[in-house]
Amino acid sequence: MTTKKHWFFSLPYYLWLALFVVAPLVLIFYQSFQGLNGHFTVQNYVNFAESGVYLKMTFNSVWYAFLITVITLIISYPVAYIIAQFKSRDFWLALIIMPTWINLLLKTYAFIGILGENGSINNFLRFIGIGSHQLLFTDASFMLVAAYIELPFMILPIYNSIVAIRPSLINASLDLGASRWQTFRRVILPLTKNGVFAGIQAVFIPSLSLFMITRLIGGNRVITLGTAIEEHFLTTQNWGMGSTIGVVLVVAMLIVMLLTDDSGKGVHR
Amino acid sequence: MAILKFEGVKKQFGDNVILKDINFEIEEGKFYTILGPSGSGKTTILRLIAGFDFPNAGTIYFDGQKINQLPANKRQVNTVFQDYALFPNLNVFDNIAFGLRLRRMKKKEIQLRVAEALTLVHLEGYAHRELDELSGGQLQRVAIARAIVNRPKVLLLDEALSALDHKLRKDMQAELRALQRQLGITFIFVTHDQEEALAMSDQIMIINDGLIEQSGTPVDIYDEPLNHFVADFIGESNIIPATMVRDFAVAIDGKEFICVDAGITPGEAVEVVLRPEDLDITTVEKGKLTATVDSQLFRGVDYQIMVHDTDGHEWKINSIHKTTVGKQIGITFDPEDIHVMRANETQAEFDARLESYQGVVE
Amino acid sequence: MKKRRTLSKIYLAVILILMYAPIFYLIYYSFSSGNTMDGFKHFSWKHYQALFVDTRMISIVLNTIIIALLAALISTAIGTSGALLIQHIKHRAWRQNVLVLNNILMVSPDVIIGASFLIFFTFLGIKLGFWSVLLSHIAFCIPIVVLMVLPKVKELPRSLTDAAFDLGATRWQAFSQVTIPGIMDGIKAGFFMALTYSLDDFAVTFFVTGNGFSTLSVEIYSRARQGIDLEINALSTVMFLVSLVLVYIYYRFSVKPSPKGGR
Repeated sequence: MTTKKHWFFSLPYYLWLALFVVAPLVLIFYQSFQGLNGHFTVQNYVNFAESGVYLKMTFNSVWYAFLITVITLIISYPVAYIIAQFKSRDFWLALIIMPTWINLLLKTYAFIGILGENGSINNFLRFIGIGSHQLLFTDASFMLVAAYIELPFMILPIYNSIVAIRPSLINASLDLGASRWQTFRRVILPLTKNGVFAGIQAVFIPSLSLFMITRLIGGNRVITLGTAIEEHFLTTQNWGMGSTIGVVLVVAMLIVMLLTDDSGKGVHR
Repeated sequence: MAILKFEGVKKQFGDNVILKDINFEIEEGKFYTILGPSGSGKTTILRLIAGFDFPNAGTIYFDGQKINQLPANKRQVNTVFQDYALFPNLNVFDNIAFGLRLRRMKKKEIQLRVAEALTLVHLEGYAHRELDELSGGQLQRVAIARAIVNRPKVLLLDEALSALDHKLRKDMQAELRALQRQLGITFIFVTHDQEEALAMSDQIMIINDGLIEQSGTPVDIYDEPLNHFVADFIGESNIIPATMVRDFAVAIDGKEFICVDAGITPGEAVEVVLRPEDLDITTVEKGKLTATVDSQLFRGVDYQIMVHDTDGHEWKINSIHKTTVGKQIGITFDPEDIHVMRANETQAEFDARLESYQGVVE
Repeated sequence: MKKRRTLSKIYLAVILILMYAPIFYLIYYSFSSGNTMDGFKHFSWKHYQALFVDTRMISIVLNTIIIALLAALISTAIGTSGALLIQHIKHRAWRQNVLVLNNILMVSPDVIIGASFLIFFTFLGIKLGFWSVLLSHIAFCIPIVVLMVLPKVKELPRSLTDAAFDLGATRWQAFSQVTIPGIMDGIKAGFFMALTYSLDDFAVTFFVTGNGFSTLSVEIYSRARQGIDLEINALSTVMFLVSLVLVYIYYRFSVKPSPKGGR
């Protein structure tokens, strides 16, 4: 195409990159150095570092996200592995994907009923004689619901990495004398590492920021970085502080991505 | 003693019968080729030997032991896979050492054995390369090294050269043959390429439609194909219907020719095979048959000439001399160039018949 | 061997039951005549009746669908041009950079996207409402479309367009009759993904929507914060059925190779 036409054709995309990718990132970084009065300041970062509340919240948020990731990983790997062995695996995979089509808020909302004071779980606990407990508005309930919501996003990349393994590799391993377990540990597991990493990224990062679940299930408390950002932007209107926490969240995200980035170099020892 | 033996082996997947009734013995230290068109069941035989599949009926013996249901990891057999099946997460050294490490071999010895295997496949100094730094031919060698390093009694090669280009393939054929002699272990090579089979093997087994059509040395199979399928599949051939006149004489369209086959009932309908390179073009007067040249194709080493004779049969002739399209020519051949095939003759029957009259000829 | 297989089937069954239990729990109570999810009273359609006369809810559903369709359509157009553009960047490092930029919105947490877009719109003085929500949805759908289309663009053999030129096609004809049909599967998948992302989004919308405008997710959130409302359960049943239909359509069109696709 002529250069002129070419530019006309690609302008919307470049415009999008500039306006909706680069600019907002620059703005949130810029905003994080704005005080309440609109002047340049590093006070937000100082506040963040000096106030035990923010540090503890950050630590908790990362810790919870870590637990959610571990729980979903432990549940998901066997699920992905089992489905990959089935003949009608597409059907079973569709069953796993289906729940992701239900609006996340509806699924969260269901747990308000299930975990409620007179909900099914408490009814069951009373029935077996343990008695009812406060389930809703606890940190554990937040983790449960988050893990529930994230489960398919962990299963999917692991499943994809398992079915991508050529069957001849499994045969080769058996042929060389490896048992089923040795084949799993030495061939399947290393070859699905990328899938596991992709799953970790897909679960960990949202777990830091799912403010709606903490609001609806975790009680009206600020227990994750995501909730803190929402609070500052939409409730207390302290955008500077909100942006600062946002920058921290982005940094946490980048660390996770670096740790789980595998562009073929990670296999060296 | 046979190291490997199939007795009445059958294999089917659902209603799809892949192997109908396979019987053979494999001796130690030889190069075997299982040759057949795609879908003939040759790879299935290999998978049964390796232990990736198990037979539905019949018995497989390895070293005198029945191994029908023995899992692959317990067999003293290693495989070179068609797609190499090298572990992409491991480098060359770790791939080759895979089997040795499973056996908890000492580090020193593993290094020695891997180095030795790399030398055997001419990849000295490649131990610490990653797989994506290697060419197709080099990957092939790594796959071979990974299998032979375990010193299996039998090495299976599944269409192992099919991914290589023509020249590399020729080189690897010679190398594999040399490697087999050097190691002295049994190689079982599966291919659909008859040229490859003829070039490398001590013994060839021709498989078609789940049955062994013929087995024997390359020379036997080429010179004395048992039936139409084998004659057609191996090399180029002219297969013409004929009638046995008496011992050492066969008639094509009423013309009688001297041949070297005997022990067949006079008057029996047979087929004769004449290889294109055994046919010579001569003058009409000197020819045993008269024909007209239809086409001529230059192929580098020779010309492929298509002719039709006065009885309407098509003949393929490979000649280093060129001729002219449309010209009348004579075709000539020697008695030993004619090979007579009976319908439905088994290998045992053929061997017995051969035995019965061979003394007469010599 | 057999035993292990049974065991794994049981495990899978348990997980699937747990995955679907909350959804069916919602649907179950939508038929209760009560007002809580604490115990099923009588069978009743009353929450559905309430839902279908709730004009506020209906207009919000329409808003959501309009936003999703527009966002999917526009982002598919821009994303497809982006994928073609990325493929045509000759400089390898530059192409890599564009790809990294492209993927930023894919990996960024929703709150960051929402918060930064909020700053951006405020900075430009754009009033929060329909337009800010639409622009945001288009923005976060574009990279999804790019990622769905790009593999198809890469698979498309160069010789195809060359053949078109060879046969006398103009650039535009080659583009519209060879390139676009060749990557159509990717475009369709991209459009579909964009649609679902837009329909499903809550966090970004929540940040950039003003007081006057709402989408379904935002509405459910604000109602759920007030407590249990079985009208939401009725809504979930409807949405579950719609998803089933959409899943069916998706598998009909994506799994089955199209006859003219020639794969």
